[in-house]
Amino acid sequence: MLKIEHLTKVYGEKRAVDDLSLHILPGEIYGFIGHNGAGKTTTLKAVAGILRFDAGEIFIDGKSVKDAPLDCKRELAYIPDNPDLYEYMSGIKYLNFIADIFGVSADDRAARIADYAARFELTDALAQPIAAYSHGMKQKLAIIAAWLHAPRLIIMDEPFVGLDPKAAHLLKGMMREVCDNGGAIFFSTHVLEVAEKLCDKVAIIKDGKLIRSGTMDEVKGDASLEQVFLELEGDAC
Amino acid sequence: MLKVLLKKQLSEIFRSYFYDQKKNKARSKGTVIAYMVLFVMLMAGVLGGMFAGLSILLCGTMVAAGMDWLYFTMMGLLAVLLGAFGSVFNTYAGLYLAKDNDLLLSMPIPVRTIIAARLLGVYLMGLMYAGVVLLPAIVVYLVVAPFSVGRLLAGVLFFVLISLFVLTLSCTLGFVVAKVSLKLKNKSFITVALSLLFFGAYYFLYYKAQELLEVFLQNVTVYGERIRGAAYPLYLFGAAATGDPVALPVFAAVVLLLFYLVWRLLSHSFIGIATASGATAKKTYKAVHTERKSADAALLRKELARFTASPNYMLNCGMGILMLPLLGIFLLIKGDVFVEVMEELLPGFPGAAAVLLCAVMGLVAAMNDMAAPSVSLEGKSLWLLQSMPVTPWQVLRAKLSMHLILTLVPTLFCFVCTLFVYPYTVGEGVSAALFLVSFVVLSALFGLFLGLKMVNLNWTSEITPIKQSAPVALALFGDWGYALMVGGLFFLLGRILGAVGYMLCIFALTAVLCALLLSWIRKKGTEIFATL
Repeated sequence: MLKIEHLTKVYGEKRAVDDLSLHILPGEIYGFIGHNGAGKTTTLKAVAGILRFDAGEIFIDGKSVKDAPLDCKRELAYIPDNPDLYEYMSGIKYLNFIADIFGVSADDRAARIADYAARFELTDALAQPIAAYSHGMKQKLAIIAAWLHAPRLIIMDEPFVGLDPKAAHLLKGMMREVCDNGGAIFFSTHVLEVAEKLCDKVAIIKDGKLIRSGTMDEVKGDASLEQVFLELEGDAC
Repeated sequence: MLKVLLKKQLSEIFRSYFYDQKKNKARSKGTVIAYMVLFVMLMAGVLGGMFAGLSILLCGTMVAAGMDWLYFTMMGLLAVLLGAFGSVFNTYAGLYLAKDNDLLLSMPIPVRTIIAARLLGVYLMGLMYAGVVLLPAIVVYLVVAPFSVGRLLAGVLFFVLISLFVLTLSCTLGFVVAKVSLKLKNKSFITVALSLLFFGAYYFLYYKAQELLEVFLQNVTVYGERIRGAAYPLYLFGAAATGDPVALPVFAAVVLLLFYLVWRLLSHSFIGIATASGATAKKTYKAVHTERKSADAALLRKELARFTASPNYMLNCGMGILMLPLLGIFLLIKGDVFVEVMEELLPGFPGAAAVLLCAVMGLVAAMNDMAAPSVSLEGKSLWLLQSMPVTPWQVLRAKLSMHLILTLVPTLFCFVCTLFVYPYTVGEGVSAALFLVSFVVLSALFGLFLGLKMVNLNWTSEITPIKQSAPVALALFGDWGYALMVGGLFFLLGRILGAVGYMLCIFALTAVLCALLLSWIRKKGTEIFATL
């Protein structure tokens, strides 16, 4: 589903991402963890086609992000860590805008908006301007928008920040649904307990370099993910 | 506590004088002094000078007629109007929309102390506006009428009371604005309509002021007696400034009572309104069937929604939408005079009126420069467009289309109006239409070019890219320069080329410039957008 090969991104003299390779298969929830400034967001942005990279390749369903960016973007959805949406639109106008861009049919969008908005208890707020939304409501709207075109790959940067426990639980269920239907999820998080329980595989990045990846058992063995993470962070210091 | 808050409030008010937000560093001493001098010159020199002139015009005649009180009624009302309306939106924003309201309310500070500190900012603003009217008025009065300490003291007291009255009125209006904004739908259009109404009334009065003043001064005694008879409080208001032993205490008591009442009102309502910021009139969601639109149509709708959602954007970058039809209607009414004058003044330039009409329409069309800030306005939402399956060119094309739709339609309406005023030959009509269309296209492309070359995505207020950015200013003045060049060059080349030949040449030049800019935007511009 997603193949990252020798990805390198340089800002000035700093190598934000350094020769990173990852393969994510259909049906996998893949967690991406690392300290602040490790290169997680840079990697996710590069996969989403927002950020150009200096070396390496990224393939989504066999298509290169460099050579066929639009084909790749049609297959994926991206949610940043702080979703700055179009505050001058109402929630429903925003969702319709996203649906138009991704070519979602009138019937599909109506059904999905009704379903997801009801799940997140956002239906009543859809007519309100996004400017009046709380951070959590914006996050919920960004999630609904991401799910609207039924993407095969969903990239999320800290998706649980700002969500109430009920919405967070709901999101976890929706992530699993995507993967059960043959899709894949690649997301970053600092909440290691969530990663440990939710992810099929996990990758740990430090200073732009991948320091460990694999299935949860391969990465953590009998220890907790937190212990492994802290040990690896310590080792690398 | 109040001292600390006052210090914070003052540092906020004068922050822009000491701190350059764009460069994120403190201004140099020289720059601070230059800013201060410029500000004083603008306020005291230009505004104060204007009102000093008015005072000189009125004072002599009115004092000679024994109508001192009427002189102060007029100047006092002007001060109140300027002070209250000059600071009403500032009052609303300063009192209720301050970003640190929540923070201060969470601290162990009495609400009244917070309001008092906030009101200081409003008071200073009102004092400044009232001062530029009243201080020259009092000085002129003391020079014209025989000077006495009593008159000086009465004048000073009147000024202090007026400044307090301005504060009271500003707070009341700010409170009303805050209350109304919580319930209002279509805020942006109402704001634009009210702003335009205000500007319209202002320019109408400015246009008519001289005539009205002359009539008024010729009959000052008659008008004075009528006002005194019909509106006695206005007499007391003006007489207070002359030191009238009855009027002054009455006026002072009324002002102090009103201020006390408003203070009570604010104390009771402040928390409710300040913490309700962001809440708007509740709209009920009803699911409706929405037809699928193409990505290009969706992008265009997004641009139009952005434009119509912001009064600042509409007022600063879209005045041509209103002014072009107004120009068209004006030309329908008075255009024949314009054409006659042109033909009489320029007998050696047949068709000059057609060229100059085009230049004038170009000048007004240039008031639309919505493409210029459109890229910067994406701000922190840029990730959305970059992560969507649309090309940068599709995004930029939507921005251009918005500019073209909003400018071409009123421009062509204006042009159609000129068809009833000026008897274009077929050649003149076709070449004029071609020029106008190409000019609008050039204006859109030039604005977008500047917007891409000088993009600024890191702003905290949309005013920065809309009003305080180089692309908008350069687009406006660049377009004006081009339109003026079109009119001016005709006098050099018109005799050789004739009106039709000249306009076709200008059209060709404009088309070439359009092609160059379009090519740049499609190649370099899209690359810049993709890597922002």
